[in-house]
Amino acid sequence: MNRKSFLPHIALAAVLILVAAFAGQVRKWQQEWATVRLMPGASKKQDVRDHQEILRDERSLRADVLVKFRSGTSQQTIDEITGRFQDELEDGIESVPGLWAIHDLNDASAEAVVAEYRALPEVEYAEPNFEISLDHESGGPKHLHPIDPRFGDQWGLENEGQGGGKSGADIRAMQAWATTTGSHDVVIAVLDSGVAYDHEDLVNNMWHRPASVQPYQDRDFGVVEDELGYNAINNSGDPFDDNGHGTHCAGIIGAEGGNNIGITGVNWRVRIMPLKFMNAGGFGTTKDAIEAINYVIDRRKAGVNVRVISASWGSTLRSRALDDVIQKTHAAGILFVAAAGNATTDNDKRPHYPASFDNVISVAALDRNDRLAPFSNYGAQSVQIAAPGKEILSTWLGNDYEEHSGTSMATPVVAGVAGLVLSASPDLSVADLRAVLLKSVDKVPALAGKVSTSGRINAARAVGSNKM
Amino acid sequence: MALTKEQAVATARKDLAQRLGVNEAAISDSTEDAEFPDMALGAGLPEEMSGQMITPGWRIRLQANGKSFEYRANKNQIRLCNYNGQNHRL
Repeated sequence: MNRKSFLPHIALAAVLILVAAFAGQVRKWQQEWATVRLMPGASKKQDVRDHQEILRDERSLRADVLVKFRSGTSQQTIDEITGRFQDELEDGIESVPGLWAIHDLNDASAEAVVAEYRALPEVEYAEPNFEISLDHESGGPKHLHPIDPRFGDQWGLENEGQGGGKSGADIRAMQAWATTTGSHDVVIAVLDSGVAYDHEDLVNNMWHRPASVQPYQDRDFGVVEDELGYNAINNSGDPFDDNGHGTHCAGIIGAEGGNNIGITGVNWRVRIMPLKFMNAGGFGTTKDAIEAINYVIDRRKAGVNVRVISASWGSTLRSRALDDVIQKTHAAGILFVAAAGNATTDNDKRPHYPASFDNVISVAALDRNDRLAPFSNYGAQSVQIAAPGKEILSTWLGNDYEEHSGTSMATPVVAGVAGLVLSASPDLSVADLRAVLLKSVDKVPALAGKVSTSGRINAARAVGSNKM
Repeated sequence: MALTKEQAVATARKDLAQRLGVNEAAISDSTEDAEFPDMALGAGLPEEMSGQMITPGWRIRLQANGKSFEYRANKNQIRLCNYNGQNHRL
């Protein structure tokens, strides 16, 4: 290097050093800002704390995972487990015995840490530490944003105008989740073509008959080993789905939330009881539907906390026997939610069953612009409520996901919100549950004169309005 | 095994020929992709309940003896609509 080129090189080096130093400072500022956002005392967050119940202690926001140890697990065992994983007990959540915020010291991903804990018999559940953030636009309600990668495609849960939709035309799921994400104590029966109960986004939310409940005994067909649910077509205990429709409905109700897989169900946690009465073609007989409903009532009487039946099917032919058994579900404290139908017709004039029976919530479908879906049935008196039902992404056979449309898809949204409500208020009667759901709605102009409530279900209002 | 459109058309032609007692060669057909309102392809039977999901398939229009007949099919099934006042599942 000659003397003439030396000085410019020195100057260039100095500039690079200054740029690097400035970039380092920016990163530091970013880290400090990120910390401030999570710390108590940040004014917006404090405002929210002042008027809302806190789902999790703020200290838990800095932890990596939340782990609930089973009742009876000693502190010594908990310490041994976390020590073995080289983790740190960040904080015990006093209001929920056994629940700990745990900090991973190995920089493993939250999902990996969750998987470690879930594999332990001492652990009831483990989940990543979800981000709780403010609605920055409005300074409004707190919400919970799931990490599931395809959540952004679920316009019915959070409509930000994706796909040409109308921002806000959704069920306010994220705001509801700030209050409850569901409970494994609530069982929702999916009365359908069965469910692919091994789907990776459903498997942790499937119902299994508790050991304390005896196997199902049909008076005529004998004992059914119903560990996984019930198949009314062949009177067996294997309700595996060979069509996909039931799996789609199940995912809408309860695809596991926050597992960093696929989609998010209306309930992040729930127990889905799969029932099969429709075949691979997606149709079944009235008699098999009745058999399956009879099964649900029996399980309820046997002590299973099954509180909702989601029925995404129907016909225009009225069956008195089907009506009779559905009225028995109501008497047993089970809410029956059914699809209004897809014939673009007025159910007040041409009823669609079982949606048009008494004590059933009949559900119409909305598109992503808050319009009644072009196929949806309606009825100013006989259809009660509407929910997203067009271009709905959910679970499908083969660990897959598909988008489908129909009042079939709107129905499990309402059934799912019923599950959320019950997770917060487990003792609600079926009549009160129905009233909570119907009073929760956001009035939608397109539904005036089309459904009796003139509204779209609002999950946030439903879970907050249950002290009626 | 899932039905193809060609298989569905062939099955529909054969069915109609048997019902009418005519030679298949005397039947003309046209087929279009369609979306049906439910999983019974909008042609449910009296005892049936069907999933209320919009279902893609094929509308197969056959003509024979100067009359039109409509079959509906998808990968799972074939149905004859409103034949002598009733729907039929093949």
